[in-house]
Amino acid sequence: MTPERFHTLVAAYGADPQRWPQHERNDALEWARAHRAEADAALDDALELDAWLARDRITPPARALLEQIVASAPVPVVAAKRRRFWRSGAAFAGVGLAGALAGALTMSLVMLGTTTPAPHESSYLSTGFGGSSADWGEPGSDWSDE
Amino acid sequence: MPGFELKDDHDRAAVGTPALDDWKASKALNALPPSKAPDERDPDADLVARVGARDPLAARVLVTSKLPRLIALASRMLGDRADAEDVAQEAFVRIWKQAPHWRTGEAKFDTWLHRVALNLCYDRLRGRREESVEDPHNVAEPAPDPAGAPDQQLEARTRDERVRAALAALPVRQREALVLTYYQELSNLEAAGLMGISVDALESLLARARRTLRAQLAGDAAGKDSV
Repeated sequence: MTPERFHTLVAAYGADPQRWPQHERNDALEWARAHRAEADAALDDALELDAWLARDRITPPARALLEQIVASAPVPVVAAKRRRFWRSGAAFAGVGLAGALAGALTMSLVMLGTTTPAPHESSYLSTGFGGSSADWGEPGSDWSDE
Repeated sequence: MPGFELKDDHDRAAVGTPALDDWKASKALNALPPSKAPDERDPDADLVARVGARDPLAARVLVTSKLPRLIALASRMLGDRADAEDVAQEAFVRIWKQAPHWRTGEAKFDTWLHRVALNLCYDRLRGRREESVEDPHNVAEPAPDPAGAPDQQLEARTRDERVRAALAALPVRQREALVLTYYQELSNLEAAGLMGISVDALESLLARARRTLRAQLAGDAAGKDSV
């Protein structure tokens, strides 16, 4: 580790050795221990800026945003198919048809329960004897041979 | 080769589309030096595989884990909370789309996600080209912390505004270098790879950024003393 490299590391990554490249960290620390005054001056200078940078904190995301993004995730295929079916026009048409059939069946049952016999004009009701008046002959015709 | 596979040639031909951006991100990552030892597993690999298999619980875990990091990255790059949230949402759309094609390899999922988010940030910064993105007064106010008392909120907001204004005043490449290494805590190899520069160039950007900020800090202190 050269003095120049140590100063470059501190100038770029700051005073925290954890932020220095891992493969150079031990060498840099060793150099700092061996050149305490020079290292401390550089580290103090960088430490002040590190503390200043650490002040910038970002507010965590709102719960609503998190839920919104979670809701945007694709759903499993089976659930998606089911959802697609219920959203499809075929589903609406099927439900409509089923409703129409159920309505028709209900109306049929209701009509059967309340139907009155239709008036039926039978010829036998026309006389007290029954039989059709067409069978009647001319009065006294059956006795004509007597 | 690590990263995402292209599904078909349509993705390759779709110039300027999100699919191409993802592909570019994946290609850029393939050119990166290894960011971890070959035997070191990507800590997100299993989770991403479950997201790719459309596991709703895995999706929730991934959002909980990555959303704060994405918001932090985009907020500092853009200086605008609403834009940062848009970037985060778009990044997750890319994740949902690409997760089934994720292959474990040298590039970590988190690094790929940073590439996607940075691309989205740069899209927005390009859109603001006519405006002065270096203007510290152009920085949006940070969202208030609902948990804090009003006076604490004010103090925190003033403090945050000063730091954020100084960050926003940095040239964008210096800001990117600082955000990736200091705040996102990426290694120098990962940050340099994401930015498409050498480690030496990254260190130069970082040193210049810190010098500029230190001058700004000194200026603020002098301003306070003179009041």
